[in-house]
Amino acid sequence: MSTATIALLGQPNSGKSTLFNALTGLKQHVGNWPGKTVEKKEGSFAYNGMTYEVADLPGSYSMTANSDEEVITRDFIASGEADIVCILADSSQLERSLFMLADYAGISAPCFLVLNMEDVAKDQGKTINVKALEKKLGIPVMLFSATDKKAYDRFYATLERALREKSHIDVSALEKEYEKISGYSEIKDQLSETDISGYTPMWLTVKYLENDKVVSAKLKEELSGDKAASISALGEKAGGAIATGECKFNWIDKLLDGTVNKSETGVKLGKLDRIYTHRFWGKPAVVLTVILGLFASFIPALPIMGLGSLVDILKNVVQGALSTAGCPALIMGLVCDVFIQSMGYIIKMLGFVFGVTLVFGFLEEVGVMARISYVFDNTMGKLGLQGKSVMPFLVSFGCTMGGAAGTRVIDNWGQKVLTIALAWAVPCGAAWAIVPMLSTVFFGMGAPVVIAVLLLVMILHMWVTAKIFGRGLVKKEDRCGMIMELPPYHKPRWGALLRYVFGRTKDTFVRVAKVVLLVCLIFWVLSYGSGVNDTSILYRLGIAIEPVTKFFGLPWQLFIAFVASSVGKEGAVGVISALYAGGSYGEGFMAAMGGAARAANLNELLLANVTKPEALAFIFAITFNLPCVVALAATYQEIHSAKWTARIAAYYTVGALLLSCVAYHIGLLIW
Amino acid sequence: MKLQELKENTQAVVRDLKGDARFIGRVTSIGLTPGCRVRIIKNDKNRPLLLYSRDTMISLGRSECDGIEVEEVSA
Repeated sequence: MSTATIALLGQPNSGKSTLFNALTGLKQHVGNWPGKTVEKKEGSFAYNGMTYEVADLPGSYSMTANSDEEVITRDFIASGEADIVCILADSSQLERSLFMLADYAGISAPCFLVLNMEDVAKDQGKTINVKALEKKLGIPVMLFSATDKKAYDRFYATLERALREKSHIDVSALEKEYEKISGYSEIKDQLSETDISGYTPMWLTVKYLENDKVVSAKLKEELSGDKAASISALGEKAGGAIATGECKFNWIDKLLDGTVNKSETGVKLGKLDRIYTHRFWGKPAVVLTVILGLFASFIPALPIMGLGSLVDILKNVVQGALSTAGCPALIMGLVCDVFIQSMGYIIKMLGFVFGVTLVFGFLEEVGVMARISYVFDNTMGKLGLQGKSVMPFLVSFGCTMGGAAGTRVIDNWGQKVLTIALAWAVPCGAAWAIVPMLSTVFFGMGAPVVIAVLLLVMILHMWVTAKIFGRGLVKKEDRCGMIMELPPYHKPRWGALLRYVFGRTKDTFVRVAKVVLLVCLIFWVLSYGSGVNDTSILYRLGIAIEPVTKFFGLPWQLFIAFVASSVGKEGAVGVISALYAGGSYGEGFMAAMGGAARAANLNELLLANVTKPEALAFIFAITFNLPCVVALAATYQEIHSAKWTARIAAYYTVGALLLSCVAYHIGLLIW
Repeated sequence: MKLQELKENTQAVVRDLKGDARFIGRVTSIGLTPGCRVRIIKNDKNRPLLLYSRDTMISLGRSECDGIEVEEVSA
């Protein structure tokens, strides 16, 4: 069976990812481009006896080397690895979205054009004469709508034709436009003998005029000194990207003239958009949308969470079976406490990730996410983030892992990492399950005050964290503000969306399982003792460094509970309860991951053993500790950088201890 | 005049773009080039500007608007 490689190229919102998911289904692989933090998505499918490898090139706005994404996209295409490049444009916003095609014209790799969102264009009363367009462009052109099943057959047929013809865009009309720029022809003449494979002299000249850093540097290398000086003198007078941009759109205008009929309708904001863009109601509407989305994500999540609980039951069954079979305690511990227990925990968490990815993928797909970006752009911009970042923050009140999974809608890597780093400061559902309880036990009527202070500290924490990490992650020159289109609302492509979500959840599962199993194994070894506490490493360590942790307001029992809370916050209370009740906390530790093991007389135990300042210190320590090991793994899954994941984790551990120290010493002044 | 000085529901033609190569690249790639017509859909304080141009609803940050010189035209 022979193979062919297709590269998908298109601006954000051109429907590129939808097509990629629809074509490749579950046969896709997400990794990193070598040496870069940009996500690399590849997949494959078979059709008519051929295997097709599909590369989903990173979303970029043009072929100019302004960002990592754009450099990767360009290099991949120029490398000749792709047999054919599939360029996507949005039929409903044809004039603007053909810019990518105009910018591509002159690159040597053969291509064809897919005009996506045919259905939306039809609703707008637009008719597109594909045959006439094909004639003008010299490449295969097709209308496409991902919701239309028949469209895929047409897609395959066009693909096969494109591979047979291997045609290039007819650039003669476009070049006529460029020739109107003073200096264009002279520069092009100077480039005639340079040999940069993959690009035509016309394309190189245009990029040179646009001040493209990579092209300019390459040309400087290739050309002799006086030639380089002469083109640089010519280039200065040419008018740069503004002039070439005008040429491209003039060409597009002429291309569409006579091929597209549009009944001119006045633009008006729809009802929903009038609410979202409302000066006053916009923000509440967005927050409400995200909160409803959060609730909605529990619907698909619950069955999977139920499955996780079944695994817990399985644990008891296996434990019973093993002990009747006379299995050694060590093996039993490994199988039941580490493996099965962790799996149950992971599956429960994954349910939420599945729900969040589905619901927020849906919001992105239909176009709501762009509105969220618009409404919160100003507020989030102060933190160096995009408006979309508000969504992961709100989701993190439920589950940080869901928040991390939600950041996939952020297209800039630095902003994505910063968003996750800030989202960790948001107390998650597990923190909300224990912090109010602990506050009430110790501070009674003062509990709401403690929680209000926690929320204030959260905002302060996010602000400080943005200051600390922001500079390195989101460089000043990258803090490009909002220049974005608000796409028309689309119908969702359920099939493609579900395939994507399943694929994503599977990927997350594999990666998360590895990390969680490893961490749980380490903790299990550390806390393993033969039923008596004082033989375990964790206990001895806890006792040894107690003089230090005491300064942070944490006696050894609370410190170990703090350490346990990095695995799962639900666990912290279980661990305290095991420690103060004098039981084996190795056991308590593992059971705590399931959220159980809370002693009946916990309140008395706590009040008898822990002072108020210590309690306050502990509340701060666990609230602002790293959310849990699953969130850690999910963060790694999203940002593809072990270095940054470790850095954020270390920052949160240290930060939590510092906050607990401050809380403790303030507490000592009060009580 | 600057883009953000335009009132809602007015139309204008882009006259000039000012900024670094990256900014110019992004703005032209979304379709705003000299000579193109824009219609202001929404212009609220502390919110990005909403405008319609080349088939597309575009949202532009307020500081981005600083680099876009326009001339108002009658509808």
